[in-house]
Amino acid sequence: MSVRIAGIGCVTPLGGDLDTIWRRIEAGERAAVVEVTNPETGRKLCAAPVPAEYTAHLGREPRLRRSSAISLLAAAAGKAALADSGSEFTPAQKSRLAIVFGVSSGGVQYTRRFYEQIVKQGANTASPMLFPETVYNAPASHLAAMLGVDGATYTLVGDGTVGLQALHFGTQLLELGDADHVLVVAAEELDWALIEAHRDWRLARPGKGALLAEGAAAVLLGHDGRRAKIASHPGESFISRREAPAALDRVFTALKPDGGVDIFASGANGTWVDALLRSAAARHLTSPAPRELVAKEFLGEAIGAGALLQVVLATDALERQSASRALVAALGWNQQATGALITR
Amino acid sequence: MTAVGIVSPLGFGVVENESALREARDCVTPVTVFDTTKCRSKSAGQVGIMKDDVFGMSKGLHRASRMMIGATREALRADAAFAPDFMIIGTTSGGMSFGEQFYRAQVERRRPKERARWLANYQPQKPALDAMEAGGFRVPVQIIANACASGSNAIGHAFRLVRSGKYRRVLCGGYDAISELVFVGFDSLQAATTDRVRPFDKTRSGLVLGEGAAVLALEDLESAQLRGATILAEVTGYGISTDNHHLTQPHPSGIGPEMAMRRALEDAALSPGEVDYINAHGTATPFNDASEGAAIAKIFGARVPVSSTKGMMGHSLGAAGAIEAVFSVLALRGQFLPPNINYREADPAWELNIVANAARDARVGCVVSNSFGFGGTNASVVIEEVRG
Repeated sequence: MSVRIAGIGCVTPLGGDLDTIWRRIEAGERAAVVEVTNPETGRKLCAAPVPAEYTAHLGREPRLRRSSAISLLAAAAGKAALADSGSEFTPAQKSRLAIVFGVSSGGVQYTRRFYEQIVKQGANTASPMLFPETVYNAPASHLAAMLGVDGATYTLVGDGTVGLQALHFGTQLLELGDADHVLVVAAEELDWALIEAHRDWRLARPGKGALLAEGAAAVLLGHDGRRAKIASHPGESFISRREAPAALDRVFTALKPDGGVDIFASGANGTWVDALLRSAAARHLTSPAPRELVAKEFLGEAIGAGALLQVVLATDALERQSASRALVAALGWNQQATGALITR
Repeated sequence: MTAVGIVSPLGFGVVENESALREARDCVTPVTVFDTTKCRSKSAGQVGIMKDDVFGMSKGLHRASRMMIGATREALRADAAFAPDFMIIGTTSGGMSFGEQFYRAQVERRRPKERARWLANYQPQKPALDAMEAGGFRVPVQIIANACASGSNAIGHAFRLVRSGKYRRVLCGGYDAISELVFVGFDSLQAATTDRVRPFDKTRSGLVLGEGAAVLALEDLESAQLRGATILAEVTGYGISTDNHHLTQPHPSGIGPEMAMRRALEDAALSPGEVDYINAHGTATPFNDASEGAAIAKIFGARVPVSSTKGMMGHSLGAAGAIEAVFSVLALRGQFLPPNINYREADPAWELNIVANAARDARVGCVVSNSFGFGGTNASVVIEEVRG
């Protein structure tokens, strides 16, 4: 039985709904760059946060009152995907609704603040209010509580491919019969420590490399759904960058349809992955060459959310452009490659 | 299940771990990897020095990677013909201590050359990839971070994939290395104890952290039999539930653990009366044990022997489910019940058959292994001796 996309949602630096995001992309806008200062060294950094007003409406949710930004972002995207699907789940149906959450760095704001208290004030002053929100699965737990889901809830961690990995995990749950619907959500929040780390890692230097961003994406999967059909790849691991082209070749070979694709939703982000993705597309997606959709060029690199944002935008682009097929590919900075084929 | 590998505070490998279980050894010791002066709790279950000549690994690797490599190598040496198609690993904190070092370097305005290594190894998939490299294989990997249930979730999902025929061989398990942030986190919540760890005891006062890694080689039974592999045990059921009561506390009724155990039994087509031993989550916090104890008593009554092995080695978080699954296999293979140490007085809230303080010889054909975590995530796995 095929897996279909029933609903999509996202929140990005360019907007909290797809109409706004497309309008701003078509107007040539890019995510606003905000200067962030490393308070320990004074070094200037830059990034693209999601404006607080996009998630402000969730602040009164009981489970989100004290939560970190990542939970608000995840909840906003998840609720948008459910609304987009038009689905109303009865209590019985909710027992067959699973949640799969993808994340890369997790609740970095609370994690850094909690450790800051340990280092600067002593372990005996560290706040018990902060620690629970540092756990990777806190956003998934909040989302489950908000939606009344008491069945399967999973959190997956990985590099920039994790959104697609979460999507694949969701398709596995459907195929195994463990759920009738799966809400796949991926999110990332920013903190100066995360930005500094990626600058130190030479991946996100000002004006060079990726622009780190916040964001969240969500896809409601089921065996029925109006949006599109999706086939996802289980992912490929590689140890050295030399192995990455072969890993991408395996992803493209497994996914590409005989008749070609209309859209190539690339995970290019301004770093070393760009050339590898482009050359893989050139090797596999020929005659005719598809239109390239590089979401991160407009939205920045929201690591944990990035790959699922590609899926959301590609799914929506198929409808807006009356196209049939989109191939999504992502190559992470930390040894993972994967993709998905979306068919309308 | 054709092979297992384990690195825990009880020892390196299944032989050392089984010996420690049979001797009811308390392996909780004062913390040595960071300063605990300002913490209430000062002890943990820590993995001993991992000598490079034993595992042949780079000194630059994170402790978590070294544990994962040790466990993976043991499993793949035990079943050299096991070529995995897929890998699923659970963890809660990845390479957290490298993140701590990075932050401290910022505060101290240092830029040491190893910072690039800290960053690359901070991410939770890295120890799994390091284990892959050491094992000489490359397969897709899923990293589950469902807090303290992660290891059981990894085994459970791997089991479902193998049983469905989607994959023939899956290497699964979990790991976690002790870190200052997580240690202080539990201390700040007053979930950590200054006393001994006393699971299910009336006077229990909290957990201590542990660490370790364990991996299990799961294979389709027919395939394993066809190639003449030694079959250690069978995973026959998996149940998962989410308790939405609170981010860090289970519902006192035990509804979350109850649902996970009932779903696992249903999945295995077993009745509660067919279970011979429950390896409980048993963290020894007042709330967790109350919830789990109530659920076990409701489903199984006081007949089935129950123990938590966390008294011996602390709570290894994302590794716990995998380590305790290996302990369950050891119980099945060795026909004994691992002990629940430091037990003094029964909690009158429920009547349970606790395996108090010493291992017992017993007929063990079927085990339920429980893991529950922050976020209300609950997982139970059923492991049985080979039926065929």
